[in-house]
Amino acid sequence: MTAGTTGEMPGAAAPGGKTWPAWPPRAGTRLLRLHAISRRVPAAIAAIAACAIGLRIALIGHWDTYGALQLPLVFEAGSAAAIAITTASPLGEPERVTGRWLPFLRLATALALTAAAAAALIAAGAGAHLAGGRLDVLRNVAGMTGIGLLCAAVLGGGLAWVGPTGYLVVGAYALYTQWHRPALTTPWIWPARPPHDAGAAICAALVFTIGIVVISVRGARDPVGE
Amino acid sequence: MNVEITGLTRRFGRTMAVAGVDLRAGPGVVGLLGPNGAGKTSLLRMMATAIRPTSGTLRLLGRDPGADGPRREIRRRLGYLPQNLGYYPGFTVAEFVEYFALLKEVPAAQLPAAVAAAVERVDLGGKAKTKLRALSGGMLRRVGVAQAIVNEPELLLLDEPTAGLDPEQRVAFRALLRELGQRATVVVSTHLVEDVGAACTRVTLMDRGKIVFHGTPEDLTARGEGYGTGDAPLERGYSAVLAGARS
Amino acid sequence: MTAVRMPAAPRPAPAQRGRLSAAARLLRLELRRNAMPWVLPVAAGLFWFTTYRKAMAVPPLWNLRAASLQSGALLAFVCPVAGAAAWMGSREARRHTTDLVTITARPRWTRQLAIWAATTCWVILGYLGCVAALYGMTAEQASWGGPLWWPVAVVAASLAALSALGFAAGTLVPSRFTAPVAAVAAFFALALSTQLINGSQSYWQISPIVTAPWDIGPDAGAGAFYPYLPDLSIAQVMFLTGLTMAVLGAMALPNGSGRRWLLRPAAAVTTAGLLAAGTAVALAGTGKLDVHGMIAIPALHDAASDRPLRYTPVCSHTAIPVCLNPAYASYLPAAAAALAPVLNEIAGLPGAPVRISQAAATFRQGPGNSVSVSLADPPLSGTPPVFRLLLPNQLPGTAMTTSGFAAAVRSSAGPAIVASVIGDGPSTFPAQQAVAAALSRSAGLPQPSLPGPVMQRRNTTVPLPAPVRSAARRFAALPSPARHAWLVRHLAALRAGRITLAHLP
Repeated sequence: MTAGTTGEMPGAAAPGGKTWPAWPPRAGTRLLRLHAISRRVPAAIAAIAACAIGLRIALIGHWDTYGALQLPLVFEAGSAAAIAITTASPLGEPERVTGRWLPFLRLATALALTAAAAAALIAAGAGAHLAGGRLDVLRNVAGMTGIGLLCAAVLGGGLAWVGPTGYLVVGAYALYTQWHRPALTTPWIWPARPPHDAGAAICAALVFTIGIVVISVRGARDPVGE
Repeated sequence: MNVEITGLTRRFGRTMAVAGVDLRAGPGVVGLLGPNGAGKTSLLRMMATAIRPTSGTLRLLGRDPGADGPRREIRRRLGYLPQNLGYYPGFTVAEFVEYFALLKEVPAAQLPAAVAAAVERVDLGGKAKTKLRALSGGMLRRVGVAQAIVNEPELLLLDEPTAGLDPEQRVAFRALLRELGQRATVVVSTHLVEDVGAACTRVTLMDRGKIVFHGTPEDLTARGEGYGTGDAPLERGYSAVLAGARS
Repeated sequence: MTAVRMPAAPRPAPAQRGRLSAAARLLRLELRRNAMPWVLPVAAGLFWFTTYRKAMAVPPLWNLRAASLQSGALLAFVCPVAGAAAWMGSREARRHTTDLVTITARPRWTRQLAIWAATTCWVILGYLGCVAALYGMTAEQASWGGPLWWPVAVVAASLAALSALGFAAGTLVPSRFTAPVAAVAAFFALALSTQLINGSQSYWQISPIVTAPWDIGPDAGAGAFYPYLPDLSIAQVMFLTGLTMAVLGAMALPNGSGRRWLLRPAAAVTTAGLLAAGTAVALAGTGKLDVHGMIAIPALHDAASDRPLRYTPVCSHTAIPVCLNPAYASYLPAAAAALAPVLNEIAGLPGAPVRISQAAATFRQGPGNSVSVSLADPPLSGTPPVFRLLLPNQLPGTAMTTSGFAAAVRSSAGPAIVASVIGDGPSTFPAQQAVAAALSRSAGLPQPSLPGPVMQRRNTTVPLPAPVRSAARRFAALPSPARHAWLVRHLAALRAGRITLAHLP
């Protein structure tokens, strides 16, 4: 480091006469990319792709009654768990005390992965008999991702998979009760509701929204257990 | 001799991290100095039996670590503190040290006393039941030292042991090193030359995978006479030896 | 530099007693700092939601509750156990302690075994708590019999196997994604295994989620009339134990996992485990539906299981006693109330049964995986005659409410009892048909009908001819004592065909 006069960094002037550091072109993209790498987003995308491929292969077989509805739920839960795990930060405090971009980065990551998971699973079901259809996939992925994000806020990113996989069992059981009464019909167990059911869609959307907000603002909790 | 190394090399892919090292050490404290990437950590890891040499001869505590039985005997008598200490945040201080005591096969009857002694020696007796996640960086480092010494090792390998310690703790730690060095071979890899000067009986300087100096701290100081780079005599000696090795 | 020292003599190996104590200490440490307790509440919650509530809704019969426990507990625990075990398996890599622990004296396999054992201990503890809750409540409610422990053992063995598989996955691939992949894959594998079962001789019924012939579900009578057959459970436990042994043994095989002397025993354990698992699968494939509605595996079958259980039936105080297996005691009031009207009509008639007695159902496998459920003996037989009854919930089907059960008993058993006394079948005389119709009307039973033309595709019935219906109305209009007295005098002639419609009062 050499001594010298300090000079103002080149940049745009802001109200109040303060100058902000110039934001180099494509810095935003680079920041997003580095943030994604730190959260192992490429591995999560690979996991989501594996879920989509698995669903496509499984749809070759014949599934009837509640099995046909439970099958996509398995892969939706896998995708949601993979998304929830990406909330775990390996960087800890030094990252949390940086500037204003972290909440937006978390938000963008979660939203993008959720959209990618829904799109991948819908594409995997194209041309095959995907019980429940596209709306079902979108609703279930969003809802279970919300559960995973909330779990990450409580248990930490590493154990965030507990939420979606636990909900998988709940959803699968609720679907089973459609054929073995009494049926569970609460909209909070949205996989057991018809695809166009407004109540279930609202519940799933609500959980997703709360999860996204919590994880964007707070991030995942530091690991609680071993 | 507790450490007998002849022509030791270690390669990682195309990188020759240790490029032919000869070293012999008995009881005492050996300081291992060198710039970043000199091969200190790789050498230490080979002595810790964490990785195998690519070539050369390594004998530790009179045994060949390449064979299963002798390696186990070595590991029972070995203490190792790596540069980046991994730990289990949910463990308490005592549990973490106990865990390693158990893995090092400290006899169960002696275990509680050994754990208590190790924790006290690093001045963490009051924090024995504190979870590791609640400790500062310096305290974690001391926990790492405690797990390394819990089995009263005959060969103790410490990589940057004083990182994060306050000056008072560093003074206490040097005293501990001197005490341990009376019975065991202690190899300390460090960037802090004052630690070397205060605690070490021998100094080894590595650069680019090779040993470029081996002698006493006084010998190293003497090499720096008349050399301008460095604020302290040992630093000047260090800089002079490196400059000579690279010229 | 100090003088050369001779290498120190080997430190004496810890005494045998000290070794056990060190192992116990290691286990205790791992028990205290395991991730499983954080995940067990989720498993317990799932158990309550999917298994306990459902089990409490089925009758308090030990077999039904045990079947609910086996299939439900497995599904509730599969994701948390597989995932948390994988999480623990990846601990050393995640926490960057690999170097630190590798250079210690204890072999890697010992460390791993301690972690797995601690994880599995927590799982089993949580599971046993769930068993205690469900079985405890069943013990309060059940009227006869005792807990079935083989289903409990199957789930315990399953959880140990799941824990081993998840743990092995975590050590092999110490990524943060391994835990959820293990959780989801385990659930999928369990669910998939049930889709592949076809009939009662399928290898896939080795799946621990299978408690009985898959196509018909658990037999409510199992363990009430004949002993519960543990054949399939034994095969499943063998399979799961073999799988666990194979996985744990295989973890000791890679270089550096253990000492040289450990390799041969580890290979032997792995091989033995694989053989046990393979043998169990083969045995499951030889299983077949036995006459009592359970899976019998010839190589594992105990002939003593074919002998009926001794029990003292519980009987009602109706005109003709209705006697049920004590396991079904809770159904006695509803069954007796449903049959009382018809029993009042026929009690004391010549040839009338002296007792209505619940019998065991007989299961027979038909073509195309169909199963027929019936009585082993004719409904009315013996001297004095006893009418044998199958309760509706002894047949495979959906659960019933009490009122539904009573209605089903009345509609299925009532006409059969009347027919057994008055006469049955297409060869009955018109007067018999009229008397049977009259008694059915008086007892509030569905009106009998005749079978439809043989040429029609579906099983159809046609109403009784008008003269028969008219005679039936006339006979039913008589006061009950008069009707009864007439039948006492003329029943034999009625059955012999000597009474015509015109002779009916």
